[in-house]
Amino acid sequence: MNKTVNINLAGIFFHIDEDAYLKLQRYLEAIKRSFTDTQGRSEIIADIEARIAELFNERVQNDKQVIRITEVDEVISVMGQPEDYLVDDEIFEDEPQASYRTKSATSRKLFRDTDNSYVGGVSSGLSHYFGVDAIWIRLAWILLIFGAGTGILLYILLWILVPEAKTTAEKIMMTGEPVNISNIEKKIKDGFETVTETVGDVAKNVSDSVSNAAKNIDVKKTGNSIKSSSRSFFETIGDIIMFFFKVFSKFIGVLLIITSAATLIALIVALFSVGIADVIHIPGLDLVEIANTGETPIWLVSLCAFFAVGIPFFFLFYLGLKILINNLKSIGNLAKFSLLGLWIISIIALIIFGVRQASEHAYEESYTEKTELPITAKDTLTIKMVNNDNFNSDYGRHDNFKLAYNDNGDKVLYSADIDIIVKSTTDSLARVAIRKKADGRDYDSAIERAKNINYNFDFKNNTLLLDSYLTTHPDNKFSDQEVDVVLYLPESAVTYFNNSAKGHLDYRTYDGNIISRDDTNHYMKIMFEDAECLDCPEENIKIKVNTPSVKINDDGIEIHSNEGHLKIDKNGIKAESEDVNLNINAEGVEIDAED
Amino acid sequence: MKIENTKAQMRKGVLEFCILSVLKDDDAYVAEILSTLKDAKLLVVEGTIYPLLTRLKNAGLLNYRWEESTSGPPRKYYGLTETGKLFLKELDTTWSELHNAVTIVTSQKTPKK
Repeated sequence: MNKTVNINLAGIFFHIDEDAYLKLQRYLEAIKRSFTDTQGRSEIIADIEARIAELFNERVQNDKQVIRITEVDEVISVMGQPEDYLVDDEIFEDEPQASYRTKSATSRKLFRDTDNSYVGGVSSGLSHYFGVDAIWIRLAWILLIFGAGTGILLYILLWILVPEAKTTAEKIMMTGEPVNISNIEKKIKDGFETVTETVGDVAKNVSDSVSNAAKNIDVKKTGNSIKSSSRSFFETIGDIIMFFFKVFSKFIGVLLIITSAATLIALIVALFSVGIADVIHIPGLDLVEIANTGETPIWLVSLCAFFAVGIPFFFLFYLGLKILINNLKSIGNLAKFSLLGLWIISIIALIIFGVRQASEHAYEESYTEKTELPITAKDTLTIKMVNNDNFNSDYGRHDNFKLAYNDNGDKVLYSADIDIIVKSTTDSLARVAIRKKADGRDYDSAIERAKNINYNFDFKNNTLLLDSYLTTHPDNKFSDQEVDVVLYLPESAVTYFNNSAKGHLDYRTYDGNIISRDDTNHYMKIMFEDAECLDCPEENIKIKVNTPSVKINDDGIEIHSNEGHLKIDKNGIKAESEDVNLNINAEGVEIDAED
Repeated sequence: MKIENTKAQMRKGVLEFCILSVLKDDDAYVAEILSTLKDAKLLVVEGTIYPLLTRLKNAGLLNYRWEESTSGPPRKYYGLTETGKLFLKELDTTWSELHNAVTIVTSQKTPKK
């Protein structure tokens, strides 16, 4: 007993045993593989099928009879084995075809060679593509792996993106040999591939690839004939332009690959160093942690940043590869859209983190401590700033925070953001107000952080010793902590700001601040909302008066009036009036009086 | 060098000429062409002829028409085009020359030293 199949061969209906059917199908596929589209494959196959139908018809006496494997064998022996269909092109082709029989690099395509693979066949595929031995490619990979592991990433990318050479035609294209029947036959005979039960699939693949390749060859052939027969000027120009266009696009592709790969590698290195450091707490990265007032996990932020920047660059990389390698596998719409989604999510997450971070500075609150100083209107107050050796003193007042260890060896945040403001007061005693300021998400957290600022000063022998820094516990993070030292001084008291206070005073005086940077190293007497310098050098005043009655200049003084005349100059003093004349000069004193 | 290959090439070389010659006087469909060629032992298997016919047709030397058949699928009747006739004439001359040449060469006795 045997299962039968109904087939339609060239429009004629046949019952055929299943095994016979399979044999016939294999036979037809094998023949199909022998031809390219340019040879008129479909037409030839149709003719052959028609002939087989005819031969079957001769062997079938009535409609009920079934074609058995013996009939198929007979027909095959009449028609001949697939090899018999081969018409060697060389005999019949008019044109010499040496031009595309040679291994040309242009016909080569990048595939993964899984027949000679260690891992994914990428190296051997590349070796076919570049025409070098695979060992060199593999050595290059190993070198790249030592180079920050970039090799692994690149390898995986190529593994995913470069298609595997599955069919014989692809395997031939991979090595750059022209795809023609004799080459396919050669490959098959070399044992590269055997026609097995999967013949249907494989043959289909092969025939498709063959037809594609045949199209390429066909284009090339027509190109050749144009060149040899009627090569016109404009076609030459066109060829040249196309050539440069191709070179240019390849160049762009290389550029894209290099830049995006470099960026990706840098991003990955950055991601790993920040991300890992966050987990295992590498010293030095604490600053990052402290700046992060939003309390968002650093690894999450860096992962989001990685995706937000990395995904566009990945697409650039992919684009570059696509330009260079034209049979590149598509990464698929699913992958594309999930990457796009990931990108959008990362961007949104980054925005949220940013808003959270910014909201940490939504409230700025201050907390003030006041202390009276035994300074009265008669006293002189000297103000000095005190540095701490633990903290770097040689940076500007408004620099950012730094981390250091205090005398107890605890880790502290410190900043030199200390402002000194001087005001006059009508009270009899001086006062110092320490105003601590900090940002926070809300009023309470801002106040809490302000209170957590440590700031000290000392007063002895009429000298106020102010710390030039503030410290706080690292848990308080960078939240714009600063300290204003407000000095209320009774009027007519005298202050002397040491040079060290210069950086903490304002550049200028303004309403409510009566001592400026320029007033350091001088004794300043406090007035009502002003200060007077006691030891500043007097300014030179030159008075020149020149009126008809009064003349004051470098020569002397001369005054005329209706009643008299006074002149003081280098000669002496000469005064004249209606009644008296006075003359003092080198000769002596002469006084003339009328009486 | 395989004897089979040389034989096949020799046969294939004249095959086009022979196909055109079969169609010289009258149109014929494939089975008729095949039987003529097979009778002449020029063709062992039938498969070889199909690519050749398609090639000749594509080269414009042959054309065909469909004819219904009482006992099977419709048949392709091939015939020579004008170009085909000229082509055949030329091949004819070449063949005669070649035949002569081959006869002379092969029948000549190897000169004795």
